[in-house]
Formats: sequence, structure tokens, C-alpha cells
Amino acid sequence: MSQVIIKDDEVDIVIGALQSDLTSFMEAWRPMFSRFHLIIVKDPDLKEELKVPGGFNLNLYTKSDMDKVVDSSSSTISFSGYSCRYFGYLMSRKKYIISIDDDCIPAKDSKGELIDAVAQHITNLTTPATPFFFNTLYDPFSEGTDFVRGYPFSLRSGVECGLSCGLWLNLADYDAPTQALKPSARNSRYVDAVLTVPARTMLPLSGINIAFNNELVGPTLLPAFRLAKEGKFRWETVEDIWTGMCAKVVCDHLRLGVKSGLPYVWRQERGNAVESLKKEWEGVQLMEEVVPFFQSVRLSEAAVTAEDCIAEIAASVKEQLGRSNPMFARAAENMVEWIKLWKQVRSL
Amino acid sequence: MAAPKSSTPLLKDELDIVIPTIRNLDFLEMWRPFFQPYHLIIVQDGDPSKTIKVPDGFDYELYNRNDINKILGPKANCISFKDSACRCFGYMVSKKKYIFTIDDDCFVAKDPTGKEINALEQHIKNLLSPSTPFFFNTLYDPYRDGTDFVRGYPFSLREGVPTAVSHGLWLNIPDYDAPTQLVKPLERNTRFVDAVMTIPKGTLFPMCGMNLAFNRELIGPAMYFGLMGDGQPIGRYDDMWAGWCIKVICDHLGLGVKTGLPYIWHSKASNPFVNLKKEYKGIYWQEELIPFFQSVALPKDCTTVQKCYMELSKQVKAKLGKVDDYFNKLADAMVTWIEAWDELNPSGAAAGAPKVSAK
Repeated sequence: MSQVIIKDDEVDIVIGALQSDLTSFMEAWRPMFSRFHLIIVKDPDLKEELKVPGGFNLNLYTKSDMDKVVDSSSSTISFSGYSCRYFGYLMSRKKYIISIDDDCIPAKDSKGELIDAVAQHITNLTTPATPFFFNTLYDPFSEGTDFVRGYPFSLRSGVECGLSCGLWLNLADYDAPTQALKPSARNSRYVDAVLTVPARTMLPLSGINIAFNNELVGPTLLPAFRLAKEGKFRWETVEDIWTGMCAKVVCDHLRLGVKSGLPYVWRQERGNAVESLKKEWEGVQLMEEVVPFFQSVRLSEAAVTAEDCIAEIAASVKEQLGRSNPMFARAAENMVEWIKLWKQVRSL
Repeated sequence: MAAPKSSTPLLKDELDIVIPTIRNLDFLEMWRPFFQPYHLIIVQDGDPSKTIKVPDGFDYELYNRNDINKILGPKANCISFKDSACRCFGYMVSKKKYIFTIDDDCFVAKDPTGKEINALEQHIKNLLSPSTPFFFNTLYDPYRDGTDFVRGYPFSLREGVPTAVSHGLWLNIPDYDAPTQLVKPLERNTRFVDAVMTIPKGTLFPMCGMNLAFNRELIGPAMYFGLMGDGQPIGRYDDMWAGWCIKVICDHLGLGVKTGLPYIWHSKASNPFVNLKKEYKGIYWQEELIPFFQSVALPKDCTTVQKCYMELSKQVKAKLGKVDDYFNKLADAMVTWIEAWDELNPSGAAAGAPKVSAK
């Protein structure tokens, strides 16, 4: 596969700032980020001023920007905590968006070289995905590999990739019980592969290190489902899990691919899983109920854009899940509202 | 969360190694440290008057074509001749719970640290730990040391299901089809991907028989490698045919199929022009076969592998017979295979009756 040519002006790097001093984060990523435009969105709950080093081409959004676009008195959409990045997605007009949590720095590969996560995500998004048949040699469009014997020829051109899900070394994205039971468990295994997650197979989307084709699936990355006591550590949230299942349904329906694997980022130590375990788990339990729903939801042929798909999913959520719990009804409302906002912002 | 095992059970009295060969078994010398504790079933293809020497010190049984004809009588026509597909005869005569099959041009590979890989040990680990076909774990096999289920993986699915098949990979000569081999004759697989993963339910894959292990009690009767080689219009689709059949049946019965580690070192590149001749029809037929397998529905009362397989043979005849008469013969051979299997394995307990009920 030849070198992918990326037009710098096609990419936005959206960073949700949950910590006020972004200096070490930005400096660590400078070699990979500096070519591109950045959107930094400050968590509206963060009181301190943001510290951002110079030399970047960036736009900064804060609570006051959010208030101009979203009327918080009438809306239930919240940009608090990890959801602040969604405001960045709303504001972006670029084709590709890459998002990395602000407690992650570049990782090293098995040769000891720093990984350019941005370049890898862009490679994932700009090469085809293969969701309809599993290639046992993983991504056939990678250098040095191909489709294996027996892979149907008619499926070898693949489909466009809508979403690229990266991974994490050091602190893996485990839920609180898992991390609490294995406090010293760290992910040290570098798996040198990208693969397409097959159609109709669900996966847990981790928002820590993702990228997507904003033109194809943009509206799908939305803030809809929040735990009542959502916190500032990833294992105190499920918002990306909900969004990820919506995104997978949308990609499956629109015949787009979702890739998982490289790139890795290095996730720094933060938080205490045992402390997090003490919080309310109602929301996490609720998520168990939604799995059968997402595995079986089917969209109509009339849904041809991501917006159409989200509207249909929201209607199904309201009808099938909303009756059993108001949290789902609210998620469905948020989804509908998000699509309205999305269209509104783009028509200005 | 699986507790890490301090050592993998050898299973030396529960596993047979099935090796098809037409040349010689010199490759076994390299595998001796890993294979010697086990019983081998050698299936000698080609000229039965030729003597294949088995290196000293191995415990084995060897079957040539005369033996196959003697044991199966008229049913022997379901076993291919002049094709490594004949290996499935070894699965049928085995009395063990697990099978590992490997080609005679596959050697011990090394991992990135330079350590020799005990492929059999890894297959055993894969088979003895559950699979997770209903939801994709982004950190791959959660039961491996050093990893787990990721945040968001449904808790209700974390027990997994029994693993029926462990599909290994190959470094050096990759398993490409003839057209790809012709276009990229020098490409070698040098990427060591340190992962095992479950192939999700509802997704098909191209199964390669070069480095494969399975639980014979759970899926054995579905591991028929079809009609290939001498007198047949097609070759190099034996393992793929079996792979599509076992995947459909595993999906139906709630069993798992894993792929990834272990790697072996594949040393011999077959002739791409010869391969093209063998594969030619398959390349076209495949386009009909894939939609067929993707849409196969097995009725709820197919609760054993044999029942599933017989039902599959009916559907092959009904839907693929019109693609080519070969599929009528293949459907008949599938039935013959099951009849022969049941004759040679008359325990009464049909294979593949797992605790988890069919969907």
C-alpha cells in the first residue's frame, strides 16, 4: 500500500480538556499534531484557566461558546466532562476528526519508535474496510499482507471506513471492577494489527483514542446517554459505549466499516478504581439491557444518511427502551435534539 | 476474569495429531520436542505401495489408500485422493477428544524474542479457554494472560462459550490464492501479530487446514474436507469448505471459533500455475457459495452436529446443485461421511451437545 497523502486541511484534532494544564500533553504530541488544526474544548465544569502552549493552529471553545449554541435551560444535552469533545465535533467542518484523551501521550511500538497515532488513524480511515468476511491476516490493505486464499474476490474492494478505534498501552480501558480486582494490571502487549470489526457485530467503543470520517458518520458521534453520577474518570462513564453502539449500527446499515487495533497511545496513571467502585452502578446495569436492543435493531431502507439513521435509532430507543426507564427516553430525546443542532449549526 | 494457568495441561492421552503426507515426514524431527508425547495419525496420500518412514520414537498409526478402502468399503469414495483433504479420514478414525492437524511443510516458528513457538501448546490453551462470539472484545482474547474484557463489554457475556476450533497462522510463505501468488511471488508474512481472537457469530472466514486444532467431540463430524483432487474438478477448497460448514454450525450451536496464534513457519511455496488450475472453478463457484453460507438457516431441532450437517447437505443439494453437478456429488459425499463417522464412532452420544442450547 503506497503512502497515504493526507491534505492537512482535511483533518481536525479535537481534544476535550478535563485538566487545565495541557502543556505536557500538547508538547508530547507536538510532532504529530503541529501540522493540523486543533479544536480544544474545555470541560464546562473546569474552573481554572486552560494552559496551552504556543505554536499550534487551534480554536478553543469554552462554556460560553456552548451556551451560545445550546440553550441549557431547555436542552438536556450536557457537554460536561468527557462529553465536552462533542461540542468540538459539532463545530468542526473538516472531513476527518481525531480525538485523544488528554491523559494520553504517544506510545512506542515494538521497535521502540514513537507511534504517530494521527497518521495511523488517517491510514485506517482512508483505506477500505472489509466488514462482510473475516480476513485471517487482518487488514489486507496493510503493507506486506493481503487477502488470504478463500477470501471472495467480489468483496476485495472493500467499503469506506467510517470509524477507527485505537487502543492503549499501560492503563487499559477496563471497567472499574476489573481494574479494582487487578490493580497492577497494565496492558503491555503490542498487537501489530488493524482489523475490520465484522458487520452486525457489536463492540465497546472506547472514546480514549478514536477517529472518524466526519462527512460520512459525523452526527453519529453524539452525547446522549449519561450515568446519573458520571465522573471524570473513564471507568465512571458509559457515554462512549452508548455512542459506539449507535455508530456501529449506523455503519453497518450504511455499509461502512469500523476498524479496531492500531494505533496505540500510552495512557497515564490516573484515578483509583476502588474509589470509583463505591459510586452508583445503576447506569452500568442499565447498559446490559441495551445490548439485545442494539444487536437486533434494523433501520429502514429510507435511512440513507447518518442523520436519518440516528433519527430512526432514537425513535426505536424511545419506543422499545424508553418505556422501561426514563434514562433511555432522555437519551432518545438527546439524539433527536443533536440532529437538529447538527443541521442548524451547518446551515449558518 | 480467568485466573492465569500456571502450566498448560499436556492432554497427551486426549489429543491426536493428524498429518497428511505424500512425500516424507522429515519435518517431524524439528517438532520432536513438542510432538513426541502425542499419538500421531498419518494419512498417506497417493501411491499406497510407497513406504513413508516415520522418524523413530513417535507413537503412530498410518493409513494408506488401501487401508482407507478396506476400512470404509464403498463409503471410501467420500475421502479425497491425491489431495491433502484426505486428512479428514484421520479425524474419523481417531478416538481422542482433540485433534491437531498440520501440513508436512510446516516447521517451528520463532516469536519476536527468538523463542521457538510450541504451536500445539497454544492451540490447547485456545481450545481450553472460552470464546466470545457475541460481542467483539477490542483487546482480543480476554482469557489470555495479561489482558481482560474492556470497559463496556457486557457482563452477561463474559463467561463465553466453549471453543470448538483453534485456527493458527503462518509466517514466511503466506496462504494466498493462485492469482495473488502470481502477482506477489516474493511476498512473505513477516508480521507477528500477538493476538488470538474469536471470529464473531454470523461472520464467515477462510479456514486454512495447515495449522488447525479442534475439539472433536464438539465439532468433529462437521470437519469433512470435501471431494478434491483426483477425478474432481476442484482443489485447494477443502479446508475452506469445511471452514464454512463448521462456522455455520458453530454459530447455530453456540460454539466458538478462534483465530490468530499460534504461528508456524510455512516453508514451501506451491506452484501458482498448478494452483490456478485447481482453484479456477472455485474462484467462480465461491461467489455462489458465500451467499449460500451467509444465508443458511438451520432449524431449531438440529441440536447435534450430525443433524446440522445432514441438514446442510440437503440444502447444498437443493440450492447449489444447479450451480454445478459437483455439488450434488458433494452433498451425497457429505451424507456418506456422516454415515461413515457414525459407524466408526458408535458411542451413541452424538457430537456437539453443549450445555448452551441452540439459538
